[in-house]
Amino acid sequence: MGAHRNVVRGYADELRLFGTPAARAGLVAMVVVFLVLPTVVQDDFWLSVLIYVGITAFGAIGLNLLTGYCGQISLGHAFFIGAGAYVAARIGGELGLPLPVWLLAAAVLGAALGGLVGPFALRLRGHYLAIVTLGLVFIGEHLWRNLTGITGGNSGTPVTAGASLGPVDFGALNLFGEVYSRNQGWFWLVWGLVALVALLAKNLVRTRPGRALQAVRDRDQAAEVIGVRAGRYKIGAFMLSSAIAATAGALFGAYQQFVSPDEWNLLLSIQYIAIVIVGGLGTIFGSVLGAIFVGALPALIDRYSDAIPGVRTGVGSEGFISVFALNQALFGVLIVLFLVFEPRGLAGIWLRVKAYFKAWPFSY
Amino acid sequence: MTAFLQNCFAGLSLGSTYALVALGFVVIYKSTGVINFAQGGLLALGAYLGYTFSNNLAVAFGVAVLLCCVSAALVGATFERIVLRRMVGQPPFAVIMITIGLLFVLEPLVTAIWGFEHKQVNNPWNIRTVEAGGLVFGVRDLWTIGLTAAVVLAFFLFFRYSSLGLAMRVTAFDPEAALAQGISARRVYATSWAIAAALAALAGILMAAGPGGLTPSIGFIALAAFPAMILGGMDSPAGAVLGGLVIGLAEALARGYQDELFSWAGDNVSVIVPYLLMILILLIRPYGLLGTKEVRRV
Amino acid sequence: MNGRRFRFGAALAATVLLAAACGGAGDEAGSGGGEAGAPASSAGFDGTTIRLGVLSPLSGPIAVIGQPLTEGNKVWFDHLNSQGGVAGKYKVELVQEDTQYQPDVTVQQYNKVKNDVVAFTQILGTAPTLAVLPLLKSDKMVAAPASLDAFWVREQNLLPVGAPYQIQAINAMDHYLGEGGGSPRSRICTMIQDDVYGEAGQQGIDFAAERMGFTVASTQKFKVGTENYSGQIGALAGAGCEMVFLTATPTDAGKIWGTAAQARFAPQWYAQSPSYVGALAQSAVAPYMRQYVTIASEGTEWGDDSVPGMRDMIERVEKYAPQQQPDYYFAFGYNQARAMTALLEKAVERGDLSREGILQASQELGTVSFDGLTGDYTYGPADKRNPPRSTTLFRVDPGKPFGLATLKYNFSSDAAQAFEFTKANP
Repeated sequence: MGAHRNVVRGYADELRLFGTPAARAGLVAMVVVFLVLPTVVQDDFWLSVLIYVGITAFGAIGLNLLTGYCGQISLGHAFFIGAGAYVAARIGGELGLPLPVWLLAAAVLGAALGGLVGPFALRLRGHYLAIVTLGLVFIGEHLWRNLTGITGGNSGTPVTAGASLGPVDFGALNLFGEVYSRNQGWFWLVWGLVALVALLAKNLVRTRPGRALQAVRDRDQAAEVIGVRAGRYKIGAFMLSSAIAATAGALFGAYQQFVSPDEWNLLLSIQYIAIVIVGGLGTIFGSVLGAIFVGALPALIDRYSDAIPGVRTGVGSEGFISVFALNQALFGVLIVLFLVFEPRGLAGIWLRVKAYFKAWPFSY
Repeated sequence: MTAFLQNCFAGLSLGSTYALVALGFVVIYKSTGVINFAQGGLLALGAYLGYTFSNNLAVAFGVAVLLCCVSAALVGATFERIVLRRMVGQPPFAVIMITIGLLFVLEPLVTAIWGFEHKQVNNPWNIRTVEAGGLVFGVRDLWTIGLTAAVVLAFFLFFRYSSLGLAMRVTAFDPEAALAQGISARRVYATSWAIAAALAALAGILMAAGPGGLTPSIGFIALAAFPAMILGGMDSPAGAVLGGLVIGLAEALARGYQDELFSWAGDNVSVIVPYLLMILILLIRPYGLLGTKEVRRV
Repeated sequence: MNGRRFRFGAALAATVLLAAACGGAGDEAGSGGGEAGAPASSAGFDGTTIRLGVLSPLSGPIAVIGQPLTEGNKVWFDHLNSQGGVAGKYKVELVQEDTQYQPDVTVQQYNKVKNDVVAFTQILGTAPTLAVLPLLKSDKMVAAPASLDAFWVREQNLLPVGAPYQIQAINAMDHYLGEGGGSPRSRICTMIQDDVYGEAGQQGIDFAAERMGFTVASTQKFKVGTENYSGQIGALAGAGCEMVFLTATPTDAGKIWGTAAQARFAPQWYAQSPSYVGALAQSAVAPYMRQYVTIASEGTEWGDDSVPGMRDMIERVEKYAPQQQPDYYFAFGYNQARAMTALLEKAVERGDLSREGILQASQELGTVSFDGLTGDYTYGPADKRNPPRSTTLFRVDPGKPFGLATLKYNFSSDAAQAFEFTKANP
């Protein structure tokens, strides 16, 4: 490669994942942060926040493939996440099978359930599809409440799935004589998986299937005309996205060690949609940024609520709004602000900043 | 037979509430192409405003109902003016998310002002009943059905005969042609938000006057009105009313016959009946009962 | 990627891993307890102040229970602190977190504060308590549940107070079949919330049915937060119920009684204590409730001077929380804090305020008296514990503080005495 770093000489160059030195430096920086962060931040609260964020980012990548790349709006993400969590409870917990097995089982079940929604995706369009997937959340909730043998019914079920990969147990990591806490181990496990799925997704969208998905999103009938089988891709996108969602659900259940049907509600689905939008539709990296933003903000407020005037932190404290209510209201305001001022989301801001420096010193 | 009729009556009353909310969905969808997820939040806000007028300011209940509808309409129109006006031309999906954002702001706002306690709105109906032919009719239910019928009639007359109604129909049909004719799209959009919010507030205060009283979870009913709207067809006001009544009846009957017919499907099957019915009908008619089929061009 | 780069990457990763290897956080051992002297400081105890966790719904529909209950915890500890604190020298501080009555949020909040407290003086709700129970066991933490489930009795990590829901239900049936005018041939029905709390009430009724020889004619279940109850009420009316036992929380109970009143369905209602809240006695449904509703709870009317515990409590409420309205959830929180204090004093006596120390102390704790606010509770090893088996029945009377007047004070039936307590799922 003798050419200048910024020269692009063909599509292959443009599509490379880590083509520029800057991208490679970014990759190294991310790897370093990934490895070192849990040893610097040892606080259980912040680690658990970051683990939840990682799990959410994982699921959000799946939704972004469906909504951002294939243009199918789904409000049913919570349903698939719930299904995955119960797989972890039964296959990982009760049967005691190892980590790869219950993760894979969750993915398979997720794909199968996603395939069931497929026919609707073919027949219905836009808003009609969105509301049908919303119905899925309610029907799912009914199932979780009544399939007591699997889900423990309303009272929920403990999830005792182990997190061992061969000899390495992420729940109680022991490397080179150093003992790591459960949260440290889980941080590495979860964010490692996020990196894996992000890479897979990125590879998918820069190859033929990815371009086909985008063609279906932009105009499905035109896509059919140029030889893309839109129906097959729509169903495929649903299956893939739900498989990823279910895997995220399995991780969620296994990390939290207890799940109940109240968790897989519409709010969760909406949160995922919000993450994808705040992060930026149709960008993998944006899903991760969105998850960090949407997940870490409430935690910050929760942690420092004592310092915010007007917030009621408990009985006997002054204030008119509870921490939870404040979080919800802020979440709403943020969604509105983002969409009004930066519809392309965090990734859009990122691209703008990047473009600015790329053209520097001629950036105007 | 008595039990059946009694369930049907409960279903009609519930269905009227759904119809009011679904009509609000349709008005906004028809004129702006957006599903308004904040309808439940506006419903709760309207009901609590009604509570404030009726209990704290002690105005007569009829006046309180009117006032809460008017103030909710103002909130709706203001929101349209300040936020949604900037979103004209953006993809509908982004606008839908904004309405979700509004919902997330409205919910904590309501609880921050009025708290979580169970409230009782001063009203002339409460739990009064009348009996006829062996059936017990709640006075509140009778009023709900009657008022809904009146409002729906007024709604259709408004769209049929008033110039603003005509303007709204034209804008819904072809915004550019409407603009060329000198119709103010802004006024149409703001009006449709005002109408939807007022309908939601009316549904809210009618519910709050019932035996259930008023709690912050009152807005959840709007989620069950989604199927009503979809079932009827998203762009058909008549479909919304029809969908509301069908869903209400189906839900009430499923609840009434839970023990006899649906015990195999688990407890509280009635909660998901609206969604099941919606999915079933959409499989047969992808654009609802009365919706117009979208014309697709490559 | 070419070979040179790969080696560089590997070297970098190795360096980083080495750095990471020095940052393990998994081996923090709990500081051991001292010998019967002054307790050593431990998580949640810095040598002078004991911190206790409170996991309660401070927002959401169940906040109407969580707020007064937490206020009850607070008033007791405010009083205790003014006397010097636990064992006269250790002040108590509460760390409150909002659970919204949701199991998952409870787990998250538990993880958030567990390292800052020695024990939890309140975890509200049956389902939230079940959710954190496995964690309590693995962390060797003690918590006082603010719910009256029978499972709690046999769990060493829990410190319950009061007669369990099953006892309330059994005693209520005993009353209905005696003074209440019912007979085993009456149409007896239940209306229960479709979760563990509802099942607890149903279990008590089923036990009573076997002992007293009646059958349950109809059982209606409902989901928390349902907007419309006409279907269930219609079914109960259709089954010809003469008596209905209700297990609900106040918001739902208000709607249920409102719907029943509107449908002119008028059986004898007996309701579990968490179904009621003072505001109901001021609502439009009050006349109906006054006529047909009996509440099964414990203790005495608010402000009853003849009970010493009530007299003391009213005095302390006036001093520390004058704005507090009469409320039996407040009294429950107050009793809970009292039991927790007895446990802490035992732990201080043993000279160990670590988690293990407190758990051990709960094995050795004897009978704690609540001066008539609730029945005395015999603690000790979980399999030997004996909870109170008495119930007080109240009728609704809007004229009284909290809207409740004593119908039958502090009685216990033979069936309630015979009820056996078992563990939650193994």
